[in-house]
Amino acid sequence: MPLSETTPRTWRQRLRTPIRVLIGLFILDVGVWAFADVWQRHSPDDYAMRVAGCNHHPQELVIVGGSPVSEGIVPDELCCGEFPRVFALGLPGGTTTEFYHAILRACPMPPKLLIYGITASDINDSRNEPHGPASLMTLGDVCEWATTRPESREWVIRQYLLAKASRSWSLFRYRHGIRMWAALQADAMAPGAAPEAVREARELRNYADAIQSGNGYAPAAGFVTRRHDVNKQTGAELPPFAFLNKYKTGSHLKYLHKLIDWSNANDTQLILLDMPVTSDLEAQYPEAFAEYRERLSEIERQRGVTIIRAHRDIVGITDAGFADTIHLNGVGAKVLSQWLRYRLDEFKEPSEPNDDRLRAQAGGTRP
Amino acid sequence: MILASKAFFLFLLITAVGYQLLRGRTAKYAFLLVASYIFYALCSPWYLWVLLLLTGIDYLAAKMIEDASDERSRRRWLKLSIVSNLGLLAAFKYTGFAYDTGLSLGHWFGYEAAPRSWEILLPLGISFHTFQGISYTVDVYRRQIRAVRSLLDYSLFVAFFPQMAAGPIVRAIEFLPQLVQPPRLSFAQIGDGLHLVARGLFKKLVIADTLDSLFVSLVFADPSSYTPGAIRWAVVAWAVQVYCDFSGYTDIALGTAKWFGFELPANFHLPYLATSITDFWRRWHLSLSTWLRDYLYFPLGGSKGSAARTYFNLMAIFVLCGLWHGATLAWMVYGVYNGVLMSLHRIYDRTVSGMSWFDRWRKTTAWAIVSWAFTFLQLILGLILIRMANWQSGGTIVQSLFDFAPVSLLRKETPSLVPLLIFLGLFGHMAAVVRSRVKVRVPNFEWPQVTATVLAIAGVVVFSPGVGKTFLYIQF
Repeated sequence: MPLSETTPRTWRQRLRTPIRVLIGLFILDVGVWAFADVWQRHSPDDYAMRVAGCNHHPQELVIVGGSPVSEGIVPDELCCGEFPRVFALGLPGGTTTEFYHAILRACPMPPKLLIYGITASDINDSRNEPHGPASLMTLGDVCEWATTRPESREWVIRQYLLAKASRSWSLFRYRHGIRMWAALQADAMAPGAAPEAVREARELRNYADAIQSGNGYAPAAGFVTRRHDVNKQTGAELPPFAFLNKYKTGSHLKYLHKLIDWSNANDTQLILLDMPVTSDLEAQYPEAFAEYRERLSEIERQRGVTIIRAHRDIVGITDAGFADTIHLNGVGAKVLSQWLRYRLDEFKEPSEPNDDRLRAQAGGTRP
Repeated sequence: MILASKAFFLFLLITAVGYQLLRGRTAKYAFLLVASYIFYALCSPWYLWVLLLLTGIDYLAAKMIEDASDERSRRRWLKLSIVSNLGLLAAFKYTGFAYDTGLSLGHWFGYEAAPRSWEILLPLGISFHTFQGISYTVDVYRRQIRAVRSLLDYSLFVAFFPQMAAGPIVRAIEFLPQLVQPPRLSFAQIGDGLHLVARGLFKKLVIADTLDSLFVSLVFADPSSYTPGAIRWAVVAWAVQVYCDFSGYTDIALGTAKWFGFELPANFHLPYLATSITDFWRRWHLSLSTWLRDYLYFPLGGSKGSAARTYFNLMAIFVLCGLWHGATLAWMVYGVYNGVLMSLHRIYDRTVSGMSWFDRWRKTTAWAIVSWAFTFLQLILGLILIRMANWQSGGTIVQSLFDFAPVSLLRKETPSLVPLLIFLGLFGHMAAVVRSRVKVRVPNFEWPQVTATVLAIAGVVVFSPGVGKTFLYIQF
């Protein structure tokens, strides 16, 4: 190497290579950004896509909630004359805080009826969902969180800033989508290139297509046909449901009050639908469910909110209608959705729901 | 905190910027030393005292050796240094192994004792910095270098964080002269450093970790479930994984050292192009193999004594080389295996050298290819020893290597990404062969280097698994 190459020069000269590398990365990033749609289709930001899907048209009925809603409510079953457009805004892994922000973003035209499919894990203060600050919140929302839930102030600021920083670099932002796309391309050229990645890529692409084209009902591939009773028969030990660990309530509930306030202010009727869970889950976390139900009763008393308690025995769903301890399978989802439809009708003119065939498929009868 | 983690690069950024902003030799080195100790404490919080103690002992011993007037005193201080380093190394690394071996021997003779229920955690980089300390005091004793008068300089030599965890084992004569004046960063060092770090991360995170999780671990855990073809792919993939893991670490260490203006010695020279086992050990983990040669093989007499003595010396250094890597029976067998191969190669070489027809044949390309293939087979047999789950599965793997059924890609079992990653892992080797054959000359090497760096960074961002695995050699 010539001496001049190693002789120290000015900082600008010495940083020539890193600057060129940065320019190269910038050019690459522009190229990646230009194909953002392709990468998003292979690794969807499901929170953002569901919110955008709901936002696309004014909805008469919106059902919001976590994965029990995304897996367990079939919007088509709820469509009727009064509610021609129904959207299931199920955000897997979300908490009440996320659902409040999702409604703000997804419903600029408030719906006639808002159903919140609530479950115990939604209000567990021991958990927060990083997807919320990343995909649903503005800086104002983060500031509001910092004052509303000061115990997780640092967490939300960190998550929000990390998300903003990572989204400024397309290569990093779409890395998973690029990987999934590459897996499918490699599989097309040489089948069996990376079987696990290809399976994941296909599932994600189908999931993205379902979210984008439908009414929010896009159950995960495994949940539709899986049956909890069959799983139990194998004798496998039930895994813990980590979302109910260290159960405590308080600060997420503040956002439930905000949701109630928002509904009142926008003339939207809000119904809380206490989602069915298996007896196994209740047996695993009896204290969590006791506390959750107590909080629900308090809300009902204090705020006068309508609560529909869709207990499995009332709806008529046994373990055969669940995919695991908390999520309904395809049949269970249909039973619950039809039952809910009858209950909504009852608000106008009380009647007795009757569909024994579906209930038999779900493995139970109405008590 | 591992070298391929986000935490490390944040730490590195803060340290590099702070180091460049400071003025004056003492301030810069003191800052770098404190940063190195923080790095050590973050990785191995309970054992910072080990590093400090050995640094103090070796620093003092070297000074006393130099200042001593009589040979006896010089030797006494040298012994103190060697015993301290090897004593602590043995205590931390080999106590468990010695206990287990004693237990097995006792059982053999009818004496029963309770199996070990305790585990000794290994201090970070102890196998590396103890060897650095020994080489320093021995070099001072041999009057090859002067003892360092500044404790700050010596402490930095031992604790310099880019190379402390897994080498290369830097000699005092290579590092201390660079400390005379704080080296100013050159244009080439910044660019080369960036390229080395990107390349190292790509080797480690994209090639080594992916090969491990995608294929190697699965096959080695249960080889009987795979066909011989798949096992052969797994063995080659394991060879590439171990190379990319260790040389990836070395690249990152060399690259980050450059950002502080320091040059560390290279540790690899296209090892899988070796055409004999002797050639391999001249290309693989150079800092260890030359250390063993200079501080063990030569003092034992090297090849100057009788033939039997020479073979004994060879066996001794390779058994110790095996045990240096890990205190297990498998590593000891790996050492014996290499010692035997080295001895056999020496016998063969001395037998055929001088036969004019054979010497002519040895210069042909055909012979080079045969030698390379035979050497590679020896290497992968050795690598099976250190990865096999147990002797039975090791036997299954070795048997598969010699199953001469037709080779197929067996796509159902061997993901076709594996051959691609193997190709990428050996790209440097292949490029070297092509360069030497076609004499490619690139007048301005900067643009290819910049392009390779950009692609390596992009590859790491997109294709690395979310969680990095620890470097294999850090465990030694």
